[in-house]
Amino acid sequence: MKLLEVEIEENVKIANEIFLLSFESEYLAENFKPGNFVNILIDKDSIYPLLRRPFSISFVEGKRVYIGYKVVGKGTNLLSQKSKGEAIDVLGPLGNSFLTDIFDGKVAVIGGGVGIFPLVGLCKELKNRGNKVDVFLGFRDLDSMFLVERFKDICDNTLIATDDGSSGYKGNVVELFKANFSKAEYKVVFCCGPKPMLKAIKNLNLPVKCYASLEEKMACGIGACLCCSIRGKDEKMYHICSDGPVFDIMEVEIE
Amino acid sequence: MNLEVEIAGVRLKNPVIAASGTFGFGREYSKLIDISEFGAICTKGITLKKRIGNPQPRLCEVYAGIINSVGLENPGVEAFVNDELPFLKSFDTKIIANINGFAKEEFVELTKILTSLVDMIEVNLSCPNVKEGGMVFGKDPEKVYEITNSVKNVASCPIIVKLTPNVTDITQLAVAAEKAGADAISLINTISAMAIDIETRKPLIQMVTGGLSGPAIKPIAVRMVYECFKKVRIPIIGMGGIMNYKDAIEFFIAGATAIQIGTVNFINPKAVYEIKEGIEDYLDRKGFNSIRELVGNINI
Ligand SMILES: Cc1cc2nc3c(=O)[nH]c(=O)nc-3n(C[C@H](O)[C@H](O)[C@H](O)COP(=O)(O)OP(=O)(O)OC[C@H]3O[C@@H](n4cnc5c(N)ncnc54)[C@H](O)[C@@H]3O)c2cc1C
Ligand SMILES: Cc1cc2nc3c(=O)[nH]c(=O)nc-3n(C[C@H](O)[C@H](O)[C@H](O)COP(=O)(O)O)c2cc1C
Ligand code: FES
Repeated sequence: MKLLEVEIEENVKIANEIFLLSFESEYLAENFKPGNFVNILIDKDSIYPLLRRPFSISFVEGKRVYIGYKVVGKGTNLLSQKSKGEAIDVLGPLGNSFLTDIFDGKVAVIGGGVGIFPLVGLCKELKNRGNKVDVFLGFRDLDSMFLVERFKDICDNTLIATDDGSSGYKGNVVELFKANFSKAEYKVVFCCGPKPMLKAIKNLNLPVKCYASLEEKMACGIGACLCCSIRGKDEKMYHICSDGPVFDIMEVEIE
Repeated sequence: MNLEVEIAGVRLKNPVIAASGTFGFGREYSKLIDISEFGAICTKGITLKKRIGNPQPRLCEVYAGIINSVGLENPGVEAFVNDELPFLKSFDTKIIANINGFAKEEFVELTKILTSLVDMIEVNLSCPNVKEGGMVFGKDPEKVYEITNSVKNVASCPIIVKLTPNVTDITQLAVAAEKAGADAISLINTISAMAIDIETRKPLIQMVTGGLSGPAIKPIAVRMVYECFKKVRIPIIGMGGIMNYKDAIEFFIAGATAIQIGTVNFINPKAVYEIKEGIEDYLDRKGFNSIRELVGNINI
């Protein structure tokens, strides 16, 4: 983990309210593991937004690091207005990573909304290790779809669900996954997305290991402020920024 | 320039202290910065027994500040002494243990355990995020007197009493602490606050109200340091919204002998370096030879 000042290479809109930002950082590219995130200080002198904003590292290509984000509030709005050459202050890589020492197996990867971003790097890694990867992606509608072609290039099967049925399966991504799960015999399941989605996956009580990347409001991003705590099933407190963001879904309480 | 300051006989090599609850037990930040740069590190609030803290969400951001309701999550004093303290002691900085109790006896018990192990104890009579103890005690000057006095009776290290700003007149608390024998006071803890999501009409943190910190509270904190400086003779440790050296200087001028930095650590982990350097330059530029000359040195 380091504090880095990087220069934006590209910051482009890739779907409705969705941006893909990239910058070069040899350090991050070399130390990145799928699931890691960075804490970005969008504007140094700003007192609103004040805190850094956490974003997953989506994937890396050579020295280039990619981050995808959705414009939801003040911070992401400001970030979307930054252009090539502007500097940003990045703290990372932070957090743990997805368990990727699975080789030559068959795995399922499920993502919803911006939870899809960290899964690009994960799928790449899983493929590199000889796994067969089926990815299930859930979007609101056709206009909010992103990175689908990239997943198609990486994964063995890319299945899409949209809430309004404008592309792929009509309905939510958990239903789509459920319909495929029994016959596919996956060894492990990975997921990232909004809480209701993760809760629904947890409630499936899958007979295989399932790892989820979680979110919580963060201040420090490194385990010092205890703002992002989550209760483990054993009453132990975990911190999403430092013990996570990836957890065995059965080991933590998702409220 | 020598930035040394002294609080109740304890020499800090510089006046910048990491504020309780914003720096864990130093371990996390030690991976990022040299934590020996701090004059002292004030630990996350410690209780006798382990506490799991409040439900999520515990944090929201507001204009120029954050509201938190962590609720004193901590591993308990035994785990602190066994697992965290040896690590902290390996650094060249003073250690202040921030302690919290739900009854006078708990403060006394914690002091007995810690008094010979740390450089100073900060008695937190001001946490807004727990239902009993904390701020509930800390708002009543008589309780402040009683607890400070009991703690002093069993302490061999200096005792700092951390005051709450959530009162009409903070100087009454300061005076009570001094009378009871406190060696120093620190102020301010977070200010009780609230924010609401207008779409869902739900409070933004689960506990409904929490403690506001950050730049938003600085003018209030400076005013409180100034008022207390006029009323007590013991050293004051000032904090609340310090983001840079200029903010820090304001606190010295208002009457603080040392300062704590909290929220800024989350935003700029290197703040300690910048603030120290800025203080040094300022003293040089203004022809002061020490911080002592600046403390309370206000032109009115
Ligand atoms: C580990 C982690 C990885 C993330 N990865 C991505 C990603 O790859 N792409 C993406 O679009 N979003 C991601 N998020 C969510 C992203 O951090 C928020 O959308 C963003 O902080 C919103 O900032 P804002 O100023 O626009 O919104 P505001 O609502 O104005 O933010 C106010 C405050 O809430 C915090 N906050 C708001 N929403 C969230 C949230 N969902 N999670 C954590 N903190 C939040 C902000 O940091 C800030 O302190 C991630 C969150 C976490 C915790
Ligand atoms: C997340 C968080 C946790 C805190 N926990 C404690 C604590 O355990 N004990 C305590 O005395 N103060 C605690 N505080 C208060 C700070 O020590 C400090 O008084 C306050 O944040 C004001 O300073 P600042 O504006 O520089 O952050 C906490 C503050 C924050 C933001
Ligand atoms: S964000 Fe500070 S502990 Fe996780």
